[in-house]
Amino acid sequence: MLTDLESAINSLIEVFHKYSLEKGNYHAIYADDLKRLLETECPKYMKKKDAETWFKELDINKDGAVNFEEFLILVIKVGVEAHEDIHKE
Amino acid sequence: MADQMSQMECSIETIINIFHQYSVRLGNRDTLNQKEFKQLVKKELPNFLKKQKRDEKAINHILEDLDTNVDKQLSFEEFSMLVAKLTVASHEEMHKTAPPGDGHHHGPGFGSSSSGPCAGQESQTPGGHGHGHSHGGHGHGHSH
Repeated sequence: MLTDLESAINSLIEVFHKYSLEKGNYHAIYADDLKRLLETECPKYMKKKDAETWFKELDINKDGAVNFEEFLILVIKVGVEAHEDIHKE
Repeated sequence: MADQMSQMECSIETIINIFHQYSVRLGNRDTLNQKEFKQLVKKELPNFLKKQKRDEKAINHILEDLDTNVDKQLSFEEFSMLVAKLTVASHEEMHKTAPPGDGHHHGPGFGSSSSGPCAGQESQTPGGHGHGHSHGGHGHGHSH
């Protein structure tokens, strides 16, 4: 049985697949998928950066899709900012 | 906080809360020292770091590897890289243990997360055999 921390980590994998399995490659999030992901999962983090800007920033290899590793960059950025916000509140 | 958290926000909040649960114990309240990190690995990552959890040297090695500013402490920023690495490892394990067949499949990976704090809406069925989900071209089905 996994701990809460381990389950939370696996839950991030689930979040990725909610959007990556929509179409095309099973592990690719395309620009419109990313827009829906941001709007649904972390709308707070679209205020400073719109979906298009996020997509350009995350698609490091410029293949027109955000893969799993690139998605984790979003998770880290949002996570680090959420941690800072907790100490501000 | 928002009234209704998304699955991603819930996961991130869980990770931050568990980090703080250990970071407040000794010294700097917002960093993990060696002792706190050891406790966290043993208690919170027993399945993900199965081989390392009983090996003090291995745990110290992980800490050294993550400690990019070499202050013998892990900030949340440094800790987040461990989370990313474990997410990649867990995902790979799910694919290694996946049943064969067309489409996209996951096996149980490092173990079953029967519910967890941030389970998706479609994965609420109690019981079941570990975490298996399979995907055809469209839609998204989970079975537990």
